[in-house]
Amino acid sequence: MTPPAWRRYIRFWGEDVRADVDDELAFHIEMRTRDNVAAGMTPDEARAEALGRFGDVGGIAGECRTIDDRVQRRRRRVELVDTVLQDVRYAARSLARSTGFTAAAVLTLALGIGATTAIFSVVHGVLLRPLPYPESERIVRAWQVNAEGNRGNVSDANFADLRAGSRSFSALAEMALSTAVSVTGGDEPVRVPQARVSREFIAVMGVQPARGRAFLPEEQQLGGPPAVLVSHDFWTRHLGGGSDAIGRTLTFGDRAHTVVGVMPRGFDYPAGAQLWVPREIDPLNTSRTAHNFQMVGRLADGVSIAQARADLGAVARRVKQELGDATWMVDADVASLRDELVGGVRPALLVLLGASAVLLVIACANVANLLLAKAATRQRELAVRRALGAGVGRLVQQFLVEALVLSLAAGALGVVLAAWGVRLLVALEPGNVPRLGEIGVSGMGLAFALGVAAATAVVLGLVTATRGSDDDLRASLAEGQRSSSGGVSSQRTRSALVVVQMAMTLVLLVGAGLLARSFLRLLAVDPGYRTDGALVLDVALPWPEDDAAGRRQVALYDELRSRLRALPGVRAVGGINALPLVWGNYSDGTFLILTRADEMGDIRDIREAIPLFEQLRRDESRIGQASYRVAGPGYFEAMEIPLVRGRLFEDRDGYDAPHVAVISETLARTRWPNEDPIGKVIQYGNMDGDLRAFTIVGVVGDVREASLTAEPQPVFYASYRQRPSGASRFNFVVQRAGDPAALAAPAREIVRSLAPDVPPRIRTLDEIVARSIADRRFSLVLLGAFGSAALLLAIVGVYGVISYLVTQREREIGIRIALGARTADVRRLVVGQALRTAAIGVGAGVIVALAATRLLERQLYGVRPSDPVTFMAIVSLLLAIALAAAWLPARRAARTDPSSVLRQA
Amino acid sequence: MAKGRIDLLQGTLDLMILKTLSWGPMHGYAVARWLQQVTDDVLRVEEGTLYPALHRLEELEWVESEWGVSENNRRAKFYRLTGAGRAQLRASLSDWSRLVETVGKVIGATARPASGVAV
Repeated sequence: MTPPAWRRYIRFWGEDVRADVDDELAFHIEMRTRDNVAAGMTPDEARAEALGRFGDVGGIAGECRTIDDRVQRRRRRVELVDTVLQDVRYAARSLARSTGFTAAAVLTLALGIGATTAIFSVVHGVLLRPLPYPESERIVRAWQVNAEGNRGNVSDANFADLRAGSRSFSALAEMALSTAVSVTGGDEPVRVPQARVSREFIAVMGVQPARGRAFLPEEQQLGGPPAVLVSHDFWTRHLGGGSDAIGRTLTFGDRAHTVVGVMPRGFDYPAGAQLWVPREIDPLNTSRTAHNFQMVGRLADGVSIAQARADLGAVARRVKQELGDATWMVDADVASLRDELVGGVRPALLVLLGASAVLLVIACANVANLLLAKAATRQRELAVRRALGAGVGRLVQQFLVEALVLSLAAGALGVVLAAWGVRLLVALEPGNVPRLGEIGVSGMGLAFALGVAAATAVVLGLVTATRGSDDDLRASLAEGQRSSSGGVSSQRTRSALVVVQMAMTLVLLVGAGLLARSFLRLLAVDPGYRTDGALVLDVALPWPEDDAAGRRQVALYDELRSRLRALPGVRAVGGINALPLVWGNYSDGTFLILTRADEMGDIRDIREAIPLFEQLRRDESRIGQASYRVAGPGYFEAMEIPLVRGRLFEDRDGYDAPHVAVISETLARTRWPNEDPIGKVIQYGNMDGDLRAFTIVGVVGDVREASLTAEPQPVFYASYRQRPSGASRFNFVVQRAGDPAALAAPAREIVRSLAPDVPPRIRTLDEIVARSIADRRFSLVLLGAFGSAALLLAIVGVYGVISYLVTQREREIGIRIALGARTADVRRLVVGQALRTAAIGVGAGVIVALAATRLLERQLYGVRPSDPVTFMAIVSLLLAIALAAAWLPARRAARTDPSSVLRQA
Repeated sequence: MAKGRIDLLQGTLDLMILKTLSWGPMHGYAVARWLQQVTDDVLRVEEGTLYPALHRLEELEWVESEWGVSENNRRAKFYRLTGAGRAQLRASLSDWSRLVETVGKVIGATARPASGVAV
């Protein structure tokens, strides 16, 4: 028969093992002594005999104490587990009983935990997780640095010097990514990004092909057999994913390449590349200023990034000293590859993580308020338990356990929300966030959610325990029957929670408001061309190796243009090699202003012209800087870029006609401020190797190219019909009256019929513009969602607290009404209290927001972080919301029946 | 003391305590006195060793204790058997009887072993 469980615990508060053992043994000796005396011994003899019989009193007492201590420790553990389980059962039962409360609390917390976990999963996946390459922390990007201190690409010659001179790298490679090449030889013609990589690239990345092999030395030299490595994705999608893929032939860039290997799944560097070919198969470019390559390296053992930077910089400075003006490189820089990949999105993601944490705080404040309200209804229960001897610790434990049960339920739901949220985030296409494909709620995300839930539980439990128990206990015992809710301190706590909520909500809403305003500003920016109604066909041809290939490309583009022009509703068709707001393929350089078209003489080979170039460009009055674009007839019409002066490209500007150019207004204004640029003769052969001079024939409106926020740069336009070698990558722009997307299918068919090996990428110009601001939209949507959720919670919070306060003051209000207060007075009383609380919150929020929005500065456009309009709007919104939330309770208060309230007293 | 004797003594002492307590709750001195009476003082144990044994039995949850008042109005710690203790006592008693019986057979045997190694 086991005794009832509670009996075990009775003596354990404050039991003294030491004294108990001493008492017990002393009792024994005393009894024995008494018996001895009864048997006739003198007291002294009796005691001596008793002690002798007993043995070593001290040793035995020690032994007993050791055992008792052990027993007691075990019992305490059992007891803790017992009471916690008891509390869990109790909490679960009481939560299950109050369905409404539980649902509200769990949903609110789940929202906060889910949002935080989702954003954390993105942050972890993008910013924190190492790249999927062995010892990836040793992989670095490297740059040459010019006199202005800007990092830049390297030329072949500079790379060779840097590589030969530096000692910090176990491998250093140069590479160039082409965003699109047209490939045949797979299951169907496709266009994919391709990277040209130098010899040590594989060693830099530390990854061998998963199938087949890496490049052989003979494949990595001038004129060697063309070989290609393909990505795992390309292999499964275009080569059937079988072992027979190795050895197949892929034709691109006018070469037939043998597939020698397949890179492992997840290998994605440079980002997006599907094909890798040896850079050495093409001749090196001898120009020191042809900055076409990016550098990647692997740090040698024990070398830090700072050491590598110092080493490479020293080499660069030495090269500069030797070569002088021949190179622009004055220094070098090195940075971790991961930081370089994700550094750009870090501030925005961290702001979003912060915002989600703020939402979590708001959710916690809300739930704390709910818990306090609930605690208030349990005053009598708590008071009774306290009176029956339950310690404060025991009651705090109960609150903690209850909050824990609530938070863990919310955490579980939050993880589900987060998994869903992450998918939503990825689907939102944040634009420039790298590594997004690899993201999900990982083990790390789960651990994070659990941690957040536990922390939430502790905060909530302690708030309710300290604010909801002690004062209220005393109060409710004293007030007895009359009070059904808590004391003054609890009221103050609840108002404080609303203040926190209002403040945090204001911060989120101001952030969202600022982003929204700058987004609107951005949409209102005139990019310099018409963005709607145009379809863009992006084609990638092999670079034309010779004159004949160039003429064939001109003929193909002419034919494509006239066929596209014939489609129904089309108003204009033109094209350009690098479309505004599309990253990549941009080039710029220095041009020479010639005094006459034949100033360069008979020189036809660019290499022979270099000395003359070098000589002329020393004269500031003879040079200019511009972006170099290859457009053509119809382009400005299709984009609706206005002609400012002169003329546009025309049909007469054919391959053999004198070469003409159109320039942008900014170029005209900055280079020829007091002159008419029309008729100027320009040598720009350094861009494409063609030394025939241009004559400027027209000036057109400015265009924002790099981004909507960047000021227009000077642009120089050549024509694809005269300079085909710069136009192997070309974007046809088809302007029509109606929905341009309707043209996609017939346009694709036209390209297929004329160039079956060149699959075009078809988008609308609108999509391109939207894509260029996708990152801003992403931040805006998220912050807006967080702000709206916060607003909702704030409404609930204000409403809850004001209703509670109205109930509290029912008697007072009854008396006021009995004494003649009018309905309006009562309403004013209640609403006034709500507004006071809200105003404190809003005031605090404004102060916090003024500091916090500075973090947003880089994401804002045309709006200052302290934009008064946004602040005023959000402040008014929140006060209005507080007013509205207080209205219902105020009306209820005004209807209080004084007689019934007074009778209760 | 040699190791073998402690074990034997301890197990035996435990058994005797359990058996003693099976008559009803007693404090430690009563247990000692009762053992003394039934063994006619033949078994001379140091009385102190009774207490670690009692506490150990309590740790095993075979006995439980409670402070009460002795026959002469002194505060004393009373021990009594738990359900588990009673079950343990039954098991120990039957083990003990089997042991006694088996050892008895060996000691009381009259025939020489049937086969053996020649000396």
